[in-house]
Amino acid sequence: MALLEIKDLTVKFETNDGIVSAVNGVSFNVREGDTLAIVGESGSGKSQTAFAAIGLLARNGHATGSVKWDGQEILNLPEAKLNRIRADEIAMIFQDPMTSLNPFLKVSDQMEEVLTLHRGMSRKQARAECVRMLDAVRIPDAAARITMYPHEFSGGMRQRIMIAMSLLCRPRLLIADEPTTALDVTVQAQIMDLLRDIQAEFNTAMILITHDLGIVAGSCERTMVMYGGRIMERGTTAEIFANPTHPYTLGLLDAVPRLDRKEDTLPTIPGEPPDMLRGFRGCPFEPRCPKAIERCKAEAPALERVSETRVRACHRSPEEVA
Amino acid sequence: MILNRAKAKELETAQIGAEIEGRSLWADARIRFFRNKAAVGGLIILILVGLFAAFGQHMTPWSNEEVDWAVLGQVDTMGRPSFESKHYFGTDDLGRDLFARTVQGTQISLMVGLIGALIAVVVGTVYGATAGYHGGRIDNVMMRIVDVMLSIPYMFVLILLLVIFGRSVLMLFVGIGLISWLDMARIARGQTLSIKNKEFVEAAHAIGVRPSTIIRRHIVPNLLGVVIVYATLLVPTMIIFESFISFLGLGVQEPATSWGALISEGAKQMQYGTLWMLLYPLFFFVITLFAFFFVGDGLRDALDPKDR
Amino acid sequence: MLSFIIRRLAVAIPTLLILVVFSYVIMYAAPGGPFDMERALPQEVMDNLNAKYGLDKPLVVQMFNYVYNVVVHFDFGPSYMYKNQTVNDIIAQGFPVTLTYGFWSFVVAVVVGMSLGVMAAIYHNSWLDYLAVGISIGAQVLPNFVMAPILVLVFTLWLGWLPGGGWQGGQWQYVIMPVIALSTSFMASIARLTRSSMLEVLNANYIRTARAKGLPMRRVIFRHALKPALLPVVSYLGPAFVAMITGSVVVDMYFSTGGIGVFFVNSALNRDYSVIMGITILTGALTILFNLVVDILYAWIDPKIRY
Repeated sequence: MALLEIKDLTVKFETNDGIVSAVNGVSFNVREGDTLAIVGESGSGKSQTAFAAIGLLARNGHATGSVKWDGQEILNLPEAKLNRIRADEIAMIFQDPMTSLNPFLKVSDQMEEVLTLHRGMSRKQARAECVRMLDAVRIPDAAARITMYPHEFSGGMRQRIMIAMSLLCRPRLLIADEPTTALDVTVQAQIMDLLRDIQAEFNTAMILITHDLGIVAGSCERTMVMYGGRIMERGTTAEIFANPTHPYTLGLLDAVPRLDRKEDTLPTIPGEPPDMLRGFRGCPFEPRCPKAIERCKAEAPALERVSETRVRACHRSPEEVA
Repeated sequence: MILNRAKAKELETAQIGAEIEGRSLWADARIRFFRNKAAVGGLIILILVGLFAAFGQHMTPWSNEEVDWAVLGQVDTMGRPSFESKHYFGTDDLGRDLFARTVQGTQISLMVGLIGALIAVVVGTVYGATAGYHGGRIDNVMMRIVDVMLSIPYMFVLILLLVIFGRSVLMLFVGIGLISWLDMARIARGQTLSIKNKEFVEAAHAIGVRPSTIIRRHIVPNLLGVVIVYATLLVPTMIIFESFISFLGLGVQEPATSWGALISEGAKQMQYGTLWMLLYPLFFFVITLFAFFFVGDGLRDALDPKDR
Repeated sequence: MLSFIIRRLAVAIPTLLILVVFSYVIMYAAPGGPFDMERALPQEVMDNLNAKYGLDKPLVVQMFNYVYNVVVHFDFGPSYMYKNQTVNDIIAQGFPVTLTYGFWSFVVAVVVGMSLGVMAAIYHNSWLDYLAVGISIGAQVLPNFVMAPILVLVFTLWLGWLPGGGWQGGQWQYVIMPVIALSTSFMASIARLTRSSMLEVLNANYIRTARAKGLPMRRVIFRHALKPALLPVVSYLGPAFVAMITGSVVVDMYFSTGGIGVFFVNSALNRDYSVIMGITILTGALTILFNLVVDILYAWIDPKIRY
């Protein structure tokens, strides 16, 4: 049985300028121990999909559809019920470690409260456990440094603290929202290694949300590509990389710098990310798509299953795209 | 008095005007402003109050200093507001026409508000922009001076000045203006600092544009939005200042008057049942302040569209 | 921490000295003296008076003597107007009154204002939010000198519930209206400021983290959001305090509470220089002290500030 089962999830935001449809009918499953990457550029709705699932949308956001956790519907549950699942079963780490930790509270206070709340531990037990977890994410001298404030740590260290904090209750699913975007390249690699190790060690299922295909390859079993709030293509990471069947995936892959190519300039996808304020009649990628045909303007392609592991949403056949 | 400190704080970091291309910003802002009902209502009230101050005197046969001997001594009955006696707002306790006095008080209060705000804005902007642009030690010293002055009970100093150098309207203008530039200076500095670090200023620097030109061409136009907003919010503050001083009997001198003086007189007569003496000037005072605040908030929201 | 306080004091003391020198020079430069009566006094009487009060000495000497007496003996000298009373007597008489209603006004403004602001932000766009915003907008056109007559009109003249003035040793009936008149507009500003800063904090990433940790809303707000949200409010307290001191003048005038405000205005009108100086320095010192407290409070809340 799937751990997380999302069906037809739609997220809309009410803004001063009108209604923004951030996510349009997204469906996917995550199994126990599964690793799924959600890839797309900013505004593709990848983060909002995750936020909606655990009820962290901004005030003006509204989600419809179905999100099942362990077979139980959790979409739009009251906060009090969601709080039992959050951190305990589904944990989340965020993009910007600089602002995701509370600058006014000591690291120890921020970490311990997770355990005292969900596990009913005493502060002393909680402290010991937190130090152990900080050691596990390779923070040197954790016992002494745990009483420091977040601003006394570097960006990479803060992200490690975030990861340690999210793992305190041994959650069954970890959602990592752009965990490396705000970090230096060398630190990025360390954090990704850490996530991989931890995933293997605790057998935690993971959703990795990123715009960077480069970090997906080594860390996730499956990949889902999103654009304009819709799923464009989903499959095993190996398939997606070796044999992309969607023009957008193709564009994304071309834009990853590689050593085995000789070009001076990196190919980019022309045009701008879609303006989510105006809805689409057709495919959201159509204005930027090199393979677009008339039909793409009028009608949004449905998500079709092409193989056991593979779905795609495009009017052109895989052969025409590749 | 310092109601606006709170707003001043917000403005220090507000993102007004920066980065967006000049014309479209102002056009956008105009559309947004006129969509805001409270702001437009405020603007209309301000225009009406302005017209009242400018032409009100022509609507009454009485002047602001002339005593109506017919009502003197029985003001609480004869001095009631009425159209027959042509005392539309009634008379004050000395039998002077309150309508004419309100017109004249409105003139003084508006004038103090506008001129005081003007002085504060000019001095504050120049000071703050200079400090912010130069940065480093100059900035440090200049802003320390502002901090020091902010921690002085300024109203006491102003009262001191008024008493010692005589109570004149001019002194009031200068005193109020000179005291109120401090917040403006802080805002202007904060904004200048953030504008200074924007790419287009650095670019101008890099291609060798002279500092004076950079200040004139890049900094000042980008400061303008914040300055206008703050100026709108400063006018009512100045009016409150003046009214406060006049309420204490230290402001304008008889027979001239202002809202504060009229409110003070009305408040003293309250127990005799002549409520109109308090309520008419109070009404003008309150609606004008409301109007200024609404217009100011409207301008801020129009120039800095961010949900607050 | 200690060096932080010392550094702050190092700025505070010169500030106070500047205030003293400035006030003294203005008064010295001003035309007319305290003994200019309607009818000119004989020259030798003037000379005697001036000599008695030390007014015949050069400015620098006068000023030095004055500062020396204030600092060493805490003696502000005799009043020129209230015969047989020293400035110290007047302060001792009026200051406790001002302090009493000033303290309560401050407490009311801060507690009510902050609570209102926090509630409004938590229940953003609900009737409670609209009510709080309405109150704070309404109250900003009601400065103390407008509130005072309105309160008297309603509670004394119409309802007859409260006495319209007096102090009576600070019985509660006499304290209520001064406190409301003085605190209303600040309460409104504080509510407004708290609301907007709380709204901003509630949108911060670390609040999302706290929620993602499954913390109950109450804990998110009180433990994670309150401190950062109150920081800008704390920095507003200094200026608010100054303005409240100023406002006490109106309260004293209007409610005849007998605080130092009324002495200040009377002395100002009668050129009773020593009383003006005394009160100006006292309030100045108080303000500076209060700002110091605010700075320390700020540094204590915000861990990023190094002492």
